This record gives sequence, structure tokens and C-alpha cells, in this order.
Amino acid sequence: MSELLLQAHDVHKTYRLGRVDVPVLRGCDVNVHAGEFLAIRGSSGSGKSTLLHLLGGLDRPDIDGGDISHAGRLLSSLSNRALDWYRARTVGFVFQFYHLLPELTVLENAMLPGLVPGGVGAAAARTRATELLGRFGLDHRLDHRPRELSGGERQRTAIARALVNDPPILLADEPTGNLDEHTGAEILRLLHETHQQGLTMVLVTHDASIADQADRALNLVDGRLTD
Amino acid sequence: MYQPLLTSRYLSTRLIPLLAVLAVALCVALVIVVVSVMTGFLDMVRTSGRTLMGDVVVSYPIRGIPHYEELIEEIRALPEAVEATPVVDTWGLLRMPYPAGDAKESEQVQIWGIDPSSFSTVTGFGDTLEWTSVPDDSAGLLQTRLIRAHAEELAATLDASAHVALLRATDQGELDELDETTIQNLASQRPVDEWAVRLRWLANRPDLVQEIIGEQAWTDLNARDPRLLSSEALVNDGLTLQRNGRPAMVPGRHVSKANIRTSDGTYEILQNGYWWMPAFEGTLTTMPIDSRGGLLEPESIVLPFANEFSSGVYLIDKTRLMVPLDIVQRLTHLDEVELVDEDDPTLVVGTAPARATMVLVRAVDGVDPLALQAAVHEAYQRFSRQTYPDEQPPTLELDPSLRILTWEQQNASFIGPIEKERELMRTLFSIVYLVSGALIVAIFWAIVYEKTRDIGILRSIGASRSGIVWIFLLYGLAVGVLGALLGVGLGWLVTSNMPSIHEGLTDPPLWLGVFLLAAAGCLLIWCVVKSRSGRLLPLLLGSLGVLVLGGLGLGELWLRHAGGVMLWDPAVYYFTEVPSNVDWPSAWMSAAGAAICSVIAAAIPAARAADIDPVGALRYE
Repeated sequence: MSELLLQAHDVHKTYRLGRVDVPVLRGCDVNVHAGEFLAIRGSSGSGKSTLLHLLGGLDRPDIDGGDISHAGRLLSSLSNRALDWYRARTVGFVFQFYHLLPELTVLENAMLPGLVPGGVGAAAARTRATELLGRFGLDHRLDHRPRELSGGERQRTAIARALVNDPPILLADEPTGNLDEHTGAEILRLLHETHQQGLTMVLVTHDASIADQADRALNLVDGRLTD
Repeated sequence: MYQPLLTSRYLSTRLIPLLAVLAVALCVALVIVVVSVMTGFLDMVRTSGRTLMGDVVVSYPIRGIPHYEELIEEIRALPEAVEATPVVDTWGLLRMPYPAGDAKESEQVQIWGIDPSSFSTVTGFGDTLEWTSVPDDSAGLLQTRLIRAHAEELAATLDASAHVALLRATDQGELDELDETTIQNLASQRPVDEWAVRLRWLANRPDLVQEIIGEQAWTDLNARDPRLLSSEALVNDGLTLQRNGRPAMVPGRHVSKANIRTSDGTYEILQNGYWWMPAFEGTLTTMPIDSRGGLLEPESIVLPFANEFSSGVYLIDKTRLMVPLDIVQRLTHLDEVELVDEDDPTLVVGTAPARATMVLVRAVDGVDPLALQAAVHEAYQRFSRQTYPDEQPPTLELDPSLRILTWEQQNASFIGPIEKERELMRTLFSIVYLVSGALIVAIFWAIVYEKTRDIGILRSIGASRSGIVWIFLLYGLAVGVLGALLGVGLGWLVTSNMPSIHEGLTDPPLWLGVFLLAAAGCLLIWCVVKSRSGRLLPLLLGSLGVLVLGGLGLGELWLRHAGGVMLWDPAVYYFTEVPSNVDWPSAWMSAAGAAICSVIAAAIPAARAADIDPVGALRYE
């Protein structure tokens, strides 16, 4: 077994809806190894996106609600600034609804993470984004706006964006959920290729057939992960 | 840095922030225009002071300062002073040459007896003279007069062909049936005296006379009034207060009711240039007061007008009349006289010296008027402590009506309120920044709301909270700076075109109304076409546009029909011109203020943006 890259231990997360506390995660344990493709399967509202956000440092677990660590370092021990850097350099997010900025062109969207503090910088980001977009078959779309693209093209742009800072981990939240079967398969193929180049990937989905393509799949049921 | 990229994109791809830019620009322009006009007004007051009165004034009204020449010598010796000049001021009546007939009008005037040469050095009098050449319309009047005055001389120089031409020109129909030879015979038989009569009769048509007498004689005739040949003569008349060697007077431009200010700001002279003052004389009457304050017999003098002056200050141009000093001294009994024994009027017991009610002093360039004032004060002390054979001048210690003041001090009651008004205006109008600030808060708040998802995305790729704050601060700064620059441009455009805008209001051009109505018509057609799609917003905006443009167009045409509005009536305002110079320091201050206000206003929505929970934002659809 390769080294342990991401680890969640007994993670609890509760959301407050009005006056009611809704526990979403109730003690999740997960170990992600370097180079692994892990799928997390769960029904809608089971908390799989929440888990992904926690792993990506976009959200924090409840107080005394378990630990998440990356390469042995607790995310809860990081300062806000260090956590921003973690999101910039260590993880890349891919979302179901692409989440591209409508005012920016395809190229600008893809290179955006390179421009934040901790990113690779404007020049390197431009080179890398152009290369990735070219690899994803979007070289003729660089100056287009997201609204001019098809769903598949948008998601490819979003994947290029997630990879522009060359993070070791990719977190994909239902990346094919908004696409037709054919396009979805294409995106999955792209993710597979990327994974094969050494990227660690955590993908959450409600679709069993997609989860089956992963090295390993876990089920999120009642706020806990099971094999 | 991703903030500049996002800021520029948010600015260029959206309409709402441009509205914020426009709001800031309008606020800045408003403040610039108001403050510039007020500052220009204040500057005009200040510079006009120097133009009209020099820098420091020693005044002792009514009784006048005796031995003022000695005082002037003392002041001239001061290193701070360029020149000092005596003035006698009094009030009087000026009987004007108009209208034709015996019932002439009179104007109340403030008479200033001046010594022209030193007065021009102390004040800017020479530059305010109105006439540098005889207006074309008025030249004929002068020529008519010359023909009448010199008819006999002219008649003597006429040859036979000129006689025939003159006979024909003054013909009453009796020559109609006669042949050429008979007419020539007839002309040769007329007595010499008759040619002069016929020339006088034709004097109202100087162009005909010119033809008859020939170019050489015509030029010789014109040379008798130097003003017709050289423009210097007219200016010189004004500067020396003389006309044809006679003492003359120079009234302000608005003293004569024959000078009419037209709506476009230029002047015209009544009856096609006939009532051009320098062609006429007026009668000046004063009421001298004796040493006990009692009224003496009125004094009168007939003086020709030499020129007119225009200081730009309406109140002064309306009332002031410049007259040679010695004449006013006589008219006010402030001239040097022999004192005689009460019982035996043949026995001279002494003299009373000539007096001046004011001494105006001009400072050397760069010398503070207050420093000059102090120096003049000391000079006056030296002057008043000397011993004079007949009468001692008043002393500063004992005579409260003797005053040495700078022009600003003398007019403090006038300048003070203007300064206060300007500051009040500045403060009041700066409140509009709060309006633009509130607008920016509202607009940015809406933008943050709309951009919630973007904020989530940015956080997910590693943007920090402070990074998000900077996006909106930079955005606010961009809106503020753009708006401020636009506002400065707009303010400059309006301020520097103030005279033409004013002119446009007093005499609205036809094309503008037609253009506005045509634009409204085009928009109406567009509206009708657009309304087919059934969408309400373009229809509403279009209709509003039609209403506004059509209303403006109709209003403009109505204004034109009604004869325009004169916003800056020189009779109401102190100055005859609208100030049109931008007060740049205060313009840039306003611009900077607006930019800072924008950033501060943007900070509120920016803080809200930073507080957005990224997870919630990403779920936000």
C-alpha cells in the first residue's frame, strides 16, 4: 500500500436549519492513499458533498467533531491563510454545475487558480492552462465565454482549472451529474487519464456504475462510510 | 493577482456599475461647477478691486485731505508702493444728451475726480476703456458733424464738376427737364454761399458728400476729428480725459441707457449707433457742501464724453463717472481758494489748500497689501506731523473718519459673505457624495448578492477572505476614479462653456429643439417596433425616453418662443460675465473625495462578501 495522503477520522458535521440541528456526517472514517481513485457513493442529501468540502478544506468539521489530516498534518491546526494555500496548491475541485465565472473567458477561467496567492503565477498558469485545455480539445475555445460552450466543454474547462496549480489531489463532486451519458463517459475517461498520471482522486456520485470504475468505492449511509 | 482581472471584467461587462460611475461623475461635476463659479466670482471680486481701486485706500470723505500732494510724495517714496493717486469722489447728476428734444434724461452718478496718468498706473483704468475705434455706425454721425462745421471751407474748394454733382444731389426735381449744358450753366451761376448751405443740407448723407467732394478733400475733412483716422486717438482721449483739447469725462458703460446689452452678451447702441456717447456732451451738476456741512449753490459744467469704461462690475459701470481732478475739486469746492476777510472781501487773509477725499495706492508686485497698508500708515503719520502754514491734515488718532484700508478690508462686508457662501455651497453640495456613496452601497450590495456563487468558487480555488474584500474595494476604487475623472471632464466642459450655455438659454437655438424632437420621433418608432415582441422593459424605457426627449424638445422650442431666460442678468448680478474658469485645486479635491467615498462605500458590501460561507455559496443557484 502506498502512503496515506488524506485521512478523516470520526468526522462529524451538523448543519443548522432554522432552529433544528441536522447531523449530516456522524463519524466518518476514510483513508485516501496517494495515487488512489476513491469513489464515495451515496444518495442525494447523504452528505457526500459535505465530506468532499471537508476534505478540501472548504469547510471545517464540528467542534470536537473529528480530525481531517493531509500528509499527517491536521487541517484544523492550519491558519486561515495556510488553509487558503492548501485549497490553492493541494486540492483541485470539480463541481457538478461546473461553476465557471461567466465574465471570464475559457482560458482565464482555467488559469484563475494560478493567480491567487499560493498559485503558480500568471505566466506559468497561462502556459499550463493553455496546455491542459489543448489536451482536453478546447484549444479553439480559449477566448470564448462559458455560456458559449456545451456542458461537456464547460466541465472540461473546470477540470483544467482544477489542475492548473498541479495539485496532488482532485476532488470531484458528481462531475457527470449534469451531463448526458455519452458526454459523462467522456469526462470520466478524461478523469481516468488524469488519474493515471499519478493524481489522487476522490469522486462522489450517486451512480453505482461510475463508482464501480474506481479503485475502491465506499458507501455513505446515515452519515457513516461503509465498504 | 486575480482582482484587477475580475474588476475590469465586472466593470466592462455589466451595466449597473456604469450607472454608479455615472452617479459619481454627476456628483463630482455638480460640485466642480458650483464651486468653480463661486471661486471665479470671488476671484473677480478680488481682481476687480485692484483694477478699480489699487491695493490700499486712504480715505477722508467729504472734507478731504488737505496737502494731499505731500502725502502722495511720502507714499511714492515707500519701497512697497508703485504709485499713489488723488481722487475726489462725490455724487451728482449727469444730464444725458438723449433723447432728442429738450426733455433730456438725467442719471445719478458717482463722480470720481482723477489725475488720469497716475490713476491709470494705480488702477487698471486704461485697460477698461471700452472704445478703441469709432464704431462703424457712429462714424457717420461724426462725419455729419464735420461737414456741418466745415461747410464753408469745403464749399470754397469745390470745382465745377463737384458743383454739378452737388446741385444734382440736392435737386428737388427742378432739374428733371433740363439738359446737361443748362445744368452746368446753372451750376456756374450759383453764389458761393449757397454751396455751403447745400453741403449742410446733405450732411446727413456723408457717403454722398464723400463722392461729391472727392477722396482728398474727404480725408482732409476726416483728419479734423483724429478719432476717425487713428484708434489711438480715442484711447488717448480716455486716458487723458480730454477731447479736442477740452477736458472731458468717461462714464461707465452702463451709465448711458443708450448702451443696450443684447441677449448674447454683446452691446448695441440705440438708434443704429447714433447715441454713441463719445460723440456727445453731458451736463454735470453737483451739490457742494460747506465746511459746516450745509448745502451750497449747485455747480454745473458741460463736458464732452471722451470714451466709456467697462470694469465688469455692474454696480460701478452703472454709476461711476471719471472727470479730471481739478474740475471735480471746483465742483465740490475742494479746490485751492483764497480766504478773505469777512468785513472787507478785498482783503486776502490766507488760502485754503486743495483737497482729495481719497488717495489710492498700488503695491509693488509681490508685496502683500497688508504690508503696504502698514507702510502707508506710517507714511501718513509722518505726513500729518509736519507743520503746514494754513491747515493741518486730519490725524489718525483724532479723526475716526480718516481710514487707511486695503481694498479687501474696505469691501469686507461684500467679500466676506461670498466666501461664506462658497464654503456653505461646498459643504452642502458635498452631501451629494453621501448620495453617490449610498448608491454605490446599494449597487454593490446587489452585485455581491448576484456574485455569491463566484465568491464561493474563488474561495474553493484558494482565494482568501481578504482577497475577496480587495475585489470589491478595487471595484469601488475603479468606479470612483472613473466617475471622478468623468466628472472632472464634465465639470470642466460645463464650466468652461458657461457663457455659451448661458447664451443658449437666453437665445435657444432652433436646431436643438428640432434635433430633440427628431430623436424623440426616432425613439417612438423604435418603441413601436419593439412593442411587437411584447416585452415590457424596452417599451417602458423607450416611452420614458420619448417623453423626456420630446419634453425637452418642446420645452426648448417654447423657451425659444418665449424669448429665452437670462439667468445671469448683469443688472441683478455684480459682474457682467459668468465666471468660466475651473477651480482646479478644488476640482481635484472633489474628485479625490468622490473616489475615497466610493471606496468607503464599497467596503460595506465587500465585508459582506468576505463573510459569505463558501459552501453555502457553492450550493447557491
